[in-house]
Amino acid sequence: MHRPLSALVVSLGLTSSFTCAAHHSFAAEFDGTKPVRLVGVITKIEWTNPHSYFYLDVKDSKGVVSNWGCEAGNPGALSRRGWKRGDIKFGDTLIVDGFLAKDGSHLIDARRVILPDGRYVFGGTPGDGGPEDAPAAGAATH
Amino acid sequence: MDSLPLHFCQWLAASWVGTSIRESDNLFSVIETAHVLGIVVTAGLIAIVDLRLLGILLSGSPASDVIRPLVKLTWCGFTWMLASGFLLFWSEADRLYANPVFRAKLVLLVILGLNQLVFHRTAYRRIAEWDLNPTAPRTARLTAGLSLVGWLAVIALGRAIAYL
Repeated sequence: MHRPLSALVVSLGLTSSFTCAAHHSFAAEFDGTKPVRLVGVITKIEWTNPHSYFYLDVKDSKGVVSNWGCEAGNPGALSRRGWKRGDIKFGDTLIVDGFLAKDGSHLIDARRVILPDGRYVFGGTPGDGGPEDAPAAGAATH
Repeated sequence: MDSLPLHFCQWLAASWVGTSIRESDNLFSVIETAHVLGIVVTAGLIAIVDLRLLGILLSGSPASDVIRPLVKLTWCGFTWMLASGFLLFWSEADRLYANPVFRAKLVLLVILGLNQLVFHRTAYRRIAEWDLNPTAPRTARLTAGLSLVGWLAVIALGRAIAYL
């Protein structure tokens, strides 16, 4: 008499835990079939957990400037790869290879970043399921 | 015109403590891991009591024998969650203020607190009457069921905060 009610409550509780499905994956937010290379001047830097972001003013082939966001890994992960806070500043030009956000906004996942001093850095989060290699040079800017 | 709570959250996020955590190499991860590990002690111990009240776990033992030894540790766990959670909130207060998933998590925590109060003021007062029964009285089973589902939902919401 009491057991079926208890069993129902427990199973309802367990199914509610399924709302927290996948880990924070690349594929949840970005489209691996849409590579992009952005070349632009840094306007804003958010060197933050859990992801850092930097924003570039990018000029397209017609000369129209638009602002794009680039999502990268957390400060700890980036500094372990040699990209430390302070390595980039407002006004620096960055070349960022990445993939477009699925929702069509001006946001890319920064897979490879070419820093002002010429160094290449992997900008993503290891294990997020995204493409390991950056897209080839010469891909369309948007 | 922005509200006072929003201004307070912006002030928190912009403060030295909030900024240091948000821009840290490792500190954020340490605090976040501590918060997640605290779930074991908090939600885990609460679930044991809930399952006893529902007659699913340890039903051969008096309910008070299951509840009383766990009270202090459960409070320690809850304090741990509040402290680590507040530090995480401090680092992103301005963004979390508007986040509906975070707000839902806070509302649910308040509901669970009230739920706990109801249990303590009703069935728990008369525990001598049902202590040896394998299942607790109806109101206690209802609060236990809500607690079980509610804490699982709090964990899921906490995980979902980052995705909104």
